[in-house]
Amino acid sequence: MIFFIIAYLGIFLLAINTVLYLKALPQKSKAFKIYSRYLILILLIEIFTVVFAQILNKNNLFLSNVFLIIQFIFLSIFYFELLQNRLIYFVSCLVMFFLVYQYFSDIKLFSIYNALGITITQSILIVYSIIYFYQSLHKRTPEFLIVNIGIFLYLICSTLIFASGNLVFDVKIPTKTYFLLLKVNGILYILYQILIFIEWRKNYYKKIPKSS
Amino acid sequence: MEKELLQEDSQIILIIIIAIFVLLFMAVALVLFFFFSRKKIIATELDKANLALAHQKKILQATIETQEQERERIAQDLHDAISSKLNVVSLSTNVLIDGNLTDKEQEDTLQHILNITTLTLESSRRLAHNLLPPILDKFGLEAALEELCDEFENSKKVTIQRSIKYLSTFTKTKELHIFRIVQEFINNAIRHGEATQMRLIVVSEEDNLCISFEDNGKGFDEEVLEDKVGLGLKNIQSRVDILDGELDYTSKINKGTKFTIKIGNGEDECWN
Repeated sequence: MIFFIIAYLGIFLLAINTVLYLKALPQKSKAFKIYSRYLILILLIEIFTVVFAQILNKNNLFLSNVFLIIQFIFLSIFYFELLQNRLIYFVSCLVMFFLVYQYFSDIKLFSIYNALGITITQSILIVYSIIYFYQSLHKRTPEFLIVNIGIFLYLICSTLIFASGNLVFDVKIPTKTYFLLLKVNGILYILYQILIFIEWRKNYYKKIPKSS
Repeated sequence: MEKELLQEDSQIILIIIIAIFVLLFMAVALVLFFFFSRKKIIATELDKANLALAHQKKILQATIETQEQERERIAQDLHDAISSKLNVVSLSTNVLIDGNLTDKEQEDTLQHILNITTLTLESSRRLAHNLLPPILDKFGLEAALEELCDEFENSKKVTIQRSIKYLSTFTKTKELHIFRIVQEFINNAIRHGEATQMRLIVVSEEDNLCISFEDNGKGFDEEVLEDKVGLGLKNIQSRVDILDGELDYTSKINKGTKFTIKIGNGEDECWN
C-alpha cells in the first residue's frame, strides 16, 4: 500500500512539473525545451506503466527499456545544449550503437531489466552531470543547476536499484522485501521531482507574467 | 519486515539498500562540496573585479590629476612666457604712440619690441611644440624620439645612449602615447632620479613593440613604490594600459632604474 502511495505521488509530482514546465515554455532556451519534452515523455511512460500493470494486468518491464532509451537520448541532448561539447554526441552515439546491438542480439532483453544498459547509460549521464557541475563552478547564474543536482542524486542511487531489478525474478526473495527497494526508489524519485519543482519555482516562476 | 530482511535470501536486498544510502550520502557530500567551492570561487572573482575597479578608479584619478597639473603648467607658461611679454610690448607701443621720444629712444624702443616679439614667438613655438611635437606628425615616431633625446642632451647635462628601430604601424594616437611614455621616463630620470646617463632601446615590427629604458639615477625602493605609486608612473601605467601592453620595472636605491614595456605578442628576446 505504502509503495503505491509513494509511486503515485511521484507520478503526480511529475505531472505537475510537466504542466508547469510546459506553461513556462515560450521563449525559453533550447535546453529548457528539451527538458520539457523529456518530462512529457517520462510522464507518458509512467502512465503506460500504471495502465499496463494495474488495469491490463500485463508485464510492463519492456517499458523500463523504453524509459532507459528515451531518458538517455533526451538527457544527452539536454547536456549537449548545456555543455556545448560535440564529444557528448560522439559518446552518446557510441552507447546507442551498443544498445541497438544489445537488443538485436538478444530480443528477450526487452522483457526484463537491461541491467548492463541501465548501468552504462546512467553512468554516462552521471559523468555529464559532473562535468556540468564543474562548468558551473565559476558561473554566477548557471541554468538548470538544481535539476542537475536532482539528476545527479537520482541517477547515482537509481542505477543500483535498476541494475538489481532482475532480482524480482528470483523466487527466493519475498516480493515484499523486494518492494522495499522500490520504495527507496520511489522516495528518491519524489526527491528528484521536488528538485525539478524548486528549479522551476526559483528560475522560471516569476518570468511567466512577462511572457504572457 | 525485520525478520524478512534477516532471512539469508533477503540479505542481498539489505546490502543493496545500504549501498544506495552510502551512495546517496557520498553524492550529497559531492554536491555540498561543489556548492562551497562555487561560493568561494565566486567570492574570489568578486574580489578580483573589485580590485580591478579600484585600480581603474586610481588610474582615472591619476589621469584627472595629470590633466589638472598640465593645465596649470600651460596656464603658467602662457602667463610667464607670453602674457607678460605682450604686456611689455603693449606698454612700449603706447610710449611710441605718445610720441614724446627722441629718434634714438624711438629706435631703441622699436628694437626692444622686436626682441620681445621674437622671444615671445620662440616661447609660443616651444609651448606648442611641448604640447604636440610637430615632428611626430610629419616624420613619425622614430624621428620624434631622436629629437626628444637630442633636446634633452642639448639642454641638460645628460647623455642618452639610444637605439631606436621603429617599424610598426601603430596609429598616430598610439604613437603619441609611446612618445609621452618615453618623455615621462626621461623627465622622471632627470627630475626624481637626478640621472646623468640613460639608455633607450626601442625595437618594433608590425604590431609588436618593446621599449627598454635604463638610467643611473637614485632609483627607488620597489616595495615602497608598490604602495605609493607616483603620479608620473601612474600616468605611464595608464598609457601602457591603453596600449594593451605590459609594464615592468626593477630598481634599487642608488643603482638606477630599468623599465621595460612590451606591447603585442612579440618574442621576449627583443629586449636583449
